[in-house]
Amino acid sequence: MIQKEYTFDASYQPQVRTKTDTSRVMLDVIIGLAPAMIFAVWQFGFKALALIAVSVVASVFFEWGYRKLMKKPNSIGDLSACVTGILLVLCMPVDAPLWMPVVGAFFAIVIVKQLYGGIGKNFLNPALAGRAFLFFSWTSTMTKWTIDGVTMATPLSILKAGGDVTASGFDLMQMFTGIGLPGSLGEVSAAALLIGGIWLLARKVINWRIPVAFIGTVAVLTFIFPRGGYSNVDWMLYNLLSGGLFLGAIFMATDYSSSPVTLNGQLLYGFGCGALTVLIRYFGGFPEGVSFAILIMNLCAWAIDKGTRGRQFGVTKEDLKAAKKAAKEAKA
Amino acid sequence: MPYKFRGGVHPDYMKAPDEPVIVVTPPPQVIIPMAQHIGAPCQPLVAVGDYVTMGQKIGENPAPVSAPVHSPVSGKVVAVEPRPHPLGDMIMAVVIENDYQDTPCTDMAPLTEEELKNPEAILARLREAGIVGMGGAMFPTAFKIRGGLGKVDTLIINGAECEPYLNGDHWTMRLHPEELLKGIELARIASGLDKAYYGIEKNKMDAIELLNSKNPAQYGVEIVPEEVKYPQGAEKMQIKAITNREVKPGGLPAGVGCNVVSTQTAYAIYKACYLGIPCYERILTVGGSAINKPYNLQCRVGTPFRYIVEQCGGFVKTPKKIVLGGPMMGLIATSLDAVNIKGTAGILFFTEEEDRTVENPTCIRCGKCITVCPMGLEPVYMYMYFKKGDFENMKKYHILDCFECGSCSFNCPGRMPLTHSFKTAKLLFAAKAAEEKARAEAAAKEAEKK
Repeated sequence: MIQKEYTFDASYQPQVRTKTDTSRVMLDVIIGLAPAMIFAVWQFGFKALALIAVSVVASVFFEWGYRKLMKKPNSIGDLSACVTGILLVLCMPVDAPLWMPVVGAFFAIVIVKQLYGGIGKNFLNPALAGRAFLFFSWTSTMTKWTIDGVTMATPLSILKAGGDVTASGFDLMQMFTGIGLPGSLGEVSAAALLIGGIWLLARKVINWRIPVAFIGTVAVLTFIFPRGGYSNVDWMLYNLLSGGLFLGAIFMATDYSSSPVTLNGQLLYGFGCGALTVLIRYFGGFPEGVSFAILIMNLCAWAIDKGTRGRQFGVTKEDLKAAKKAAKEAKA
Repeated sequence: MPYKFRGGVHPDYMKAPDEPVIVVTPPPQVIIPMAQHIGAPCQPLVAVGDYVTMGQKIGENPAPVSAPVHSPVSGKVVAVEPRPHPLGDMIMAVVIENDYQDTPCTDMAPLTEEELKNPEAILARLREAGIVGMGGAMFPTAFKIRGGLGKVDTLIINGAECEPYLNGDHWTMRLHPEELLKGIELARIASGLDKAYYGIEKNKMDAIELLNSKNPAQYGVEIVPEEVKYPQGAEKMQIKAITNREVKPGGLPAGVGCNVVSTQTAYAIYKACYLGIPCYERILTVGGSAINKPYNLQCRVGTPFRYIVEQCGGFVKTPKKIVLGGPMMGLIATSLDAVNIKGTAGILFFTEEEDRTVENPTCIRCGKCITVCPMGLEPVYMYMYFKKGDFENMKKYHILDCFECGSCSFNCPGRMPLTHSFKTAKLLFAAKAAEEKARAEAAAKEAEKK
C-alpha cells in the first residue's frame, strides 16, 4: 500500500471551473473591437493608430498607478483597462490632439472606475463618461470631423438640420461600410462593428438582449416617426447607420458593471437606451444621443435589476399572485 | 420528448467510458462506517473477536430514517472504534480482518415469485438490505418510496450521470441491462405504479440502445433520452425533464407526485430482491490528473482510499485534493485512510492542474451566474448580500433555495466563491434559527417561572 503521507487541501466546491476567466473575456472584447480599429487606421491613417496607442497606454498606466499608490492588488492583467482605453479613443475624432485621450483616460480610469473600487464596481461606463468629460471640456475639437484634412458634416448632423443626406453624397452602402464617412474613429463602419458583435455573441461575452433591444427600439421609433420629408424606411436606415448607434449598442451599453444583470432587465435597459437616443436626436441640442442615452440608463441599471428579477424555478404566476394577496391581507 | 430546463453549463466531461471495469480484490482489512446514509447512524451489532460472514448485518438502528450496514467480506472483527469517515470526522466503524473466503451469509434469501410482486415484501427487503440512494445523497430508499405511496404518480430513474468524470452508472447499464430493468420494475411495483421513466443523457446512446433492445416495456419502463447538460441529473431537473413539473421552493419531489431513484440504486434493489445480496458493493470511477490509470472499479464498501489508489497504479503527480463524487457537487475528503461508502460514485484525485482558483477573485458583474442558474436565482446579488451579512435580503433573494449545483461558480470568469458562500449562508441561517429557538425556549421557561 501507499505509505507516503500527503496533505490534502480542503477547498471550495465546485472543483472544476470554466477556462474563460476575466482576462479571456476582455481579450474577446479586444478581438471584437479589432475590425473597427483596423478600419479606423485604414481610413484615418497613422494618426488614428497613434491615438489608439496613447489611449491604451495611458489607461493601463493609470490603472496600474492608482492601484500601486493605494496599495491594492495589481489588476492590469485582467485587460479591462485596455478595453476602456480602446473604447474611449474610438469615440474621438482623428483631429484630437494626442494629449486628449490621456486626459480622458485619467477621468475614465481614476475618477469613474477606480474611485468606486475598480472593475465591476463602476456605475457608469468609464469610456463613455471619459468621452462626455472631453466633449463638454473641448466641444469644438470633439465635434470636428475630418477625413484627410477635409472637414465634413456627418450624416447625423445633416439629418438633424433637416438636410438631404443623399444630396450630400452619402449612400446607404457607404454608410454601412463606413468608407469615406466622417465621424469618430470607431463609429463609422457599421459593418466592422457588426463583425465584432457577432464575435462577442459567438464567444458568449454578451447576449443578444441589450444590442437587439437597443437597435430595435431605435429602428421602430424612427420608422414610425420619420422627419425631414424622408420615407419611413430611408429615415430609419439613415438613423440606424449614422452616429454611434452600433458602437454604443454592441460595445458600450453591454459594459458589464454599468448594465443590468437580469435577463428582463437587459431588455428593458435596451429599450430605454433606444428610446432616449431617439428622443435626444429628435429634441436635444446635439445631433447624437447614443452616449448620453447610455449614461442615463447606466444610472438606472441598479433599479432595473431590482424590478426585473427572473422567475424562480417552481414558482408560477399564480403563486406570485397568491403571495401578494397574502401579504396584503397580512397588512390589513 | 423530454422537457428542457433553463440555465445549466457544459463542463469538460472528462469521461473515459471505455476504461474497463476492474473488479477489485477486497483489501486485507475493511473499515465499515456505521453512518452510510442520511438519518440515524447504526449501532454496531458485533464485537471484537466475532466472526462475520459476507453480507451479514453488522450495524442497525430501529429509527424509521435509517439503513442497516452489512459486512462486505467474511472474517474476524478486529476493532469497533471511531475511524476517519470520508466526509470528515471520526465515526464509529467496524473493522474486519478479511479471511478471503467470502463465506456468504444465509440470513437473506432471494424473494419468492409471489414476494417479488408484493410491494410490502419488497419495501421490507429494501430496508433490510440497507439500500440507500447511491447517486450520492444516500437517503434510505425504502423510506423514500414508502413516504411517496399515495402521493407519487411518477417514478423516475436517474441515469443522467451529468457530472464530469463519473461513468459508473453508464457501466452498470452496459453490464447489467436486464438486471437493471428488473430492479426498476421492483421499485415501480413497490411504489404501486404501472410505469417508470428512465432518464438517460444522450451521451450514453450505446446504453440507451442496449436497454431498448431488452424490451423495457415488459418491465413497465420507458427510456427517455435527455439533453446533455449539467445539472440534468439533479432531482429537480430530472422531474422537470420528464414531467414538466417544477418542485416548489422548499418542497419535496413527492409534492409534485414524483420520486427519483438512481441507476445503481435500482441495480442494488435487483440484487437484494432477486439474489438476496445486501448493499455492500458498487461501481465507482477513479480519476483526476494525479492518478496513474483512471479506472472504473467494482469495489466493496469499506475499502480505504490508499488501497483503491494502488489498484489504479498509484499517483503520477502529487495529489492536492480528494473529491468524493463528481467535481461539480462532490465533497472533499482529506485523508487517504478514509474508505468508500455506499454513496461514493467516484473518487477523484486532483492536482494543481485542475485548480483554477485565483488570488483575488473579483466580480465583474457580467451576470453569467444568472444565465446558468437552473433555479432562476441571482447569484451575483445573493453573494453581495451574503458579504454584507444582510440576512433579510439573502432570504429575499432565495439563498435558501440554492441546491448547490455549482453552475454559477463554474461559469464565473472572476472566480468568485459563489456556491461555497451560499452553502455557508445556509449554515448561518440554520445556526441563527437554532439560536432563536433556544432563546424562545428560555423565554418561555422564564415566563413559566413567573
